[in-house]
Amino acid sequence: MNSTVTMPKGDLAEANAIIKTCVHYGFCTNTCPTYVLLGDENESPRGRIDLIKDMLASNAAPSKDTVKHLDNCLSCLSCMTTCAAKVDYGHLIDRARIHIEQTYRRPLADRLIRTALALILPNPRALHTALRIGALARPFRQLFRGRLRAMLELLPAGERNPPAPRRRQVFAADGERKSRVVLHLGCVQQVAAQHINEAAIRLLTRHGIEVVALGNSSCCGALTLHMGKERQAKAAAIRFVQDVMAEKEAIDAVVITASGCGTTVKDYGHLLAADADMSAAAMAIARKTRDVSELLNDLQLHPPKENMAYKVAYHDACSMLHGQRVVVQPRAVLKRAGFSVHDIAERHFCCGSAGVYNMLQPEIATRLGQRKAANIAGSGADILCAGNLGCLTQIGHYSDLPAVHTVELLDWATGGPMPPALRAYPLAPETKTEAPQNDTAPLSAATQSFW
Amino acid sequence: MNLNSQAQTPKFLDIVRRSIGDDWVHTADATVSRYGETTLPGSDNPPPAVVYPGSVDEVVAIVNAANETGTQLFPISNGNNISQGSRAPVGANQIVVDLGRRMNRILDFNEDMGIATVEPGVSYQQMHDELVRRGDRFMVDVTSGPPAGSVLGNALDKGAGYTPYADHFAMTCGMEIVLGNGQRLRTGDGALETARNWHMSKYSYGPYLDGLFVQSNYGIVTQAGFWLMPKPPAIRSFAFTFDNDDDLGDIVAAIRPLRMSGFVPTMMRLCNDLWLLASETSHPSYVSGRSITDDERKDLQRAHNLGSWTVSGAFYGASDAQIAPMVERVRSHFASLGRGRYISHEEAMESPTLASAVAAYAGVPSVHEMKQLAWRPGGGMASFTPGVPMDRDLVLQSSRKSREILRSHGLEYLKMYVCGPRFARGLHHLLWNRTVEAEDRAADQAYKALAAAYTDLGLQVGRSPIRYQDFHMSLLGDATRKTCEAIKDVLDPRGIIAPGRYGIGRAATA
Repeated sequence: MNSTVTMPKGDLAEANAIIKTCVHYGFCTNTCPTYVLLGDENESPRGRIDLIKDMLASNAAPSKDTVKHLDNCLSCLSCMTTCAAKVDYGHLIDRARIHIEQTYRRPLADRLIRTALALILPNPRALHTALRIGALARPFRQLFRGRLRAMLELLPAGERNPPAPRRRQVFAADGERKSRVVLHLGCVQQVAAQHINEAAIRLLTRHGIEVVALGNSSCCGALTLHMGKERQAKAAAIRFVQDVMAEKEAIDAVVITASGCGTTVKDYGHLLAADADMSAAAMAIARKTRDVSELLNDLQLHPPKENMAYKVAYHDACSMLHGQRVVVQPRAVLKRAGFSVHDIAERHFCCGSAGVYNMLQPEIATRLGQRKAANIAGSGADILCAGNLGCLTQIGHYSDLPAVHTVELLDWATGGPMPPALRAYPLAPETKTEAPQNDTAPLSAATQSFW
Repeated sequence: MNLNSQAQTPKFLDIVRRSIGDDWVHTADATVSRYGETTLPGSDNPPPAVVYPGSVDEVVAIVNAANETGTQLFPISNGNNISQGSRAPVGANQIVVDLGRRMNRILDFNEDMGIATVEPGVSYQQMHDELVRRGDRFMVDVTSGPPAGSVLGNALDKGAGYTPYADHFAMTCGMEIVLGNGQRLRTGDGALETARNWHMSKYSYGPYLDGLFVQSNYGIVTQAGFWLMPKPPAIRSFAFTFDNDDDLGDIVAAIRPLRMSGFVPTMMRLCNDLWLLASETSHPSYVSGRSITDDERKDLQRAHNLGSWTVSGAFYGASDAQIAPMVERVRSHFASLGRGRYISHEEAMESPTLASAVAAYAGVPSVHEMKQLAWRPGGGMASFTPGVPMDRDLVLQSSRKSREILRSHGLEYLKMYVCGPRFARGLHHLLWNRTVEAEDRAADQAYKALAAAYTDLGLQVGRSPIRYQDFHMSLLGDATRKTCEAIKDVLDPRGIIAPGRYGIGRAATA
C-alpha cells in the first residue's frame, strides 16, 4: 500500500470539478442521516466535501479523523436529491473511498474484515459457506461485540438455499414471447433470498417475457466499489458487460431486482469510461438497464384474481429514491395489482442498510434501523415492501412487519404463491369501498372532513 | 459597558456553558464559518459562537446572560432562509442562537381541531412526515423553499404558500415569546392561567400582540399554534401556458375574478419561463456580465414546451369526478382570452417543474424550485419580493421594468406571482455567480435599482434579504420607524436581540 499516490489526471479533474460546484447552501445537511443524528459539520456532505478537498489536495494518506467521517457516510445520496447546486456527491465519495483504500493503512481488524467482505460477498459459493458457518455461530452471538455481532444479527433466519447454478439459464415466456431480458440474480440475493429471483422469473415469464439468467457474472461490483476497491469493482463490471454482450440473441433490457446493483449498473458508462475497450459496451448496457418495477409498470399485468387490498407500506430504497429516481413506478404497479399502498414518514431517510454499512458501522445503522422501523409502525400497514434485499434484511431486523420484495407481491397477485415471509402472519385485505362521488356524501368518520 | 465588543464574548459563553452545557456551545471554525455564509452579495459574516438551547428555560438563561454581559444575539430557527440571509447574523460579533437543532418538537397535536403546537425547529418536512404518520388526515401549507425550512420561522418572516391556508402568519394562533428583557410572554388567551382557547382564538380580550413579533427583533418566539387544513380525498390541478411576455396583463385580469369569487380555492401561481425552466436546466450560454438573449429564451421555451407565462391552480374535492366540471369552467374561462394552451393535471404530473407546483397544492414539500440555484455557477441568490395589486396595467408595467433592469445588469428575469384576490406576491429570484466580483457587485446594484424602481411605482417588498433591511425600513415613514424603535426600547432595552434586523435597532458594523 502506498502512503501517497497520484490519482489519474482525469479522476482528479473530475473530483475537482465536483468540489467546485459545492457552494455551501447546506440543504444537504438537513437530509443527511449522519448529520441529523450526530449534528457535526464533518458528518454532513458539505463538511465531507471539504475534507475530501483537503485530502485530495494533499495527495497523501488522510488522517484517522477524516477516514472516520468519510467511512460514516452511507452513500445514500439523499444529499444529491436535496442539493440545489446539483453537486455530484456520489462520484466524489466513491473517488474519496478509492483514495483512502490506496493510501491509508487501516487497523488490522478493519483491514481483515473489509478484505473478507470483499472476497466473500461477491462470490455466491464462498458466501454460502460463510452463511453456514455463521448459522452455527449465531446462537452464541451474545458473546460477540461490534461488527461480528452485527453480522451475526443480520444473518437471514432459516435454512440456507444452495447457491444458484453458475451457468446460463433461459426461462421461456408463457405463451407468445413479447420481449427478452437478462435478469441479474445478484451475488448476495441468489444465496440469501433466492425466492426473490424465483418470484421475478415467474412474474416475468407469466407476462410473456423470456428471461435469461446469466452464469458467472454474479456480482455487479457495487459492494466492492463502495468499499473503495476500484480494481475489483471494475473487474466485476467488465465480466458483467462481457456476459451480457455475449448473448447471441438481442435483449430488450437488463433487469435488476436489487436496486443497489441497479444504481451501479446504470452508471457503468461512468465506471468504465476510461476503458477504451469497454466504455461503449458499458454505456449500452447502462442504457438498457431497468429496475424491475420500471419494466413492470410498462406492462399490462394480469388482473388480480382476488381482493389484494392488503395494507402495504412501501419503503423507498435509497438506491431507488436517490440513486435512480424510481419512485412512482413501484407504487403505481402495486396499486394496479390491487394493493393498498401506504407511504412511510421520512421516506427520504436511509434505513441504515447501505450495502455493507450495517456490518461496518453498526452503531449508526442500528439507530437508523430503529428510526425506520418506528416510522413503518406508524404507517398502519400490515406488510413492508421494498425493492432491495439489503433494506428488507436491515428493516426486518427492527420491524415486526413481514418484509417482502415488490416482485413477490406482484407474483402473488397475478397467480403465484403467497410470499414465504407472509405465510405465518394473519393478514386480511381492506374491504373495498367506493369513493364518494358528490358533495352530498356523508361525512367520513375517518377524516371528519367535509368534501 | 461597551455593548457587543468581542471582549464580552468569553464571559457570556462561560455563563451560557454553565446554563446549557458545554456540548451546546460551539466555537470551532468549521462550525461558525458555515453560520456566516449567505447567498447574498458581499462577504460572509461568521459569528464568534453558536449556542443551541433545548428549552424555553434555556432561552431565558441565554437572554439573561446576554443582558448581563451586553452581548448581542442573533436567533435563527432552521437557518434555511435561502436568498434572504440564510443564518448569518446581521451585525458583527452577534452570537447565533440556533433554535432549530434542539427545539424542534411538535409539542401538541389537536387532531379534532387540526392544530399543531410547534417549536421553531419544526420543519415543513418534519411536519409533513408527522402528518403522514398520523394517518394523512391533515396537510401543512408549504412554501417552494427548502423542505427543511422552519414552519414557525417562515410565518414570522411573513412567508406564504399556495393552499387556502397560504398566509402562514394568519394560520398561527397564540405564541410564546422570550422578550429581550428576559420576560416570558404568552400572547392571546395564553396569558390566562387556565387557557383553553390559546391556539383557537386569535382575538380574545386585550390588544393583539402577536403581530409585534413578525419581522421584528423584540423577542425570541419559542412556540406557536398552527392551524392545519384537512386533507381532501382528491386534488386536481389545472394550468395554462401563454406564448408572449405581454400576455401577462390579460392573464392577471383573468385570474382576479376566479380568486375574488373564491371559485378557485388555491393561490394561483403565475410563473415566467425562466422561473420554471431554471430548475430543469442551466444557463445555455453563461458568460459573466451577459444576460440570456430572447432567442435563447425562446429556444428553451420550445425545448420544454412552455410559453412565456404559465398559470396554475388546483381544486379540492371528494373525487376526481366531482372536480372535473370545475376544471372545465376554468378552462372555458381562460379559453375566452383566445390564446394559451391548457395543461391537464396528468400532463403537469409528467413535468417535474409543474409537478412540484401540484405537490405544493397538496401540502407536500419539495426541493425542486431550489434547483434554480444551479442556473448559473457560483451560488448567488437574492429574493426581491414586491407585492403588486391584481391590476392588468400595473402588473405589466412593473414586469417590463424588472426585465429591463435585470437585463441591463447582465442578469436574468425569473419571476413568480402568487395571485390572491386583490394582491399578488411577486417573487424575483436574482441568480448570479458570487465568485465573480463584478457579477456580485452587479447583483447588488440590480437589487437596489429594482427597489428604487418599485418604490417609484408605490410598491413595497414583503420580505427583505438581511443586507437590505435597513434600506427598506428607511423607506417607511418617520412615525413608523420611531414607533418600531420605541417598542424596541421597551421590550429589549439593552438591544440584545438582533439589533439591525429588519432595520430596527443598531447593529455593530461587520
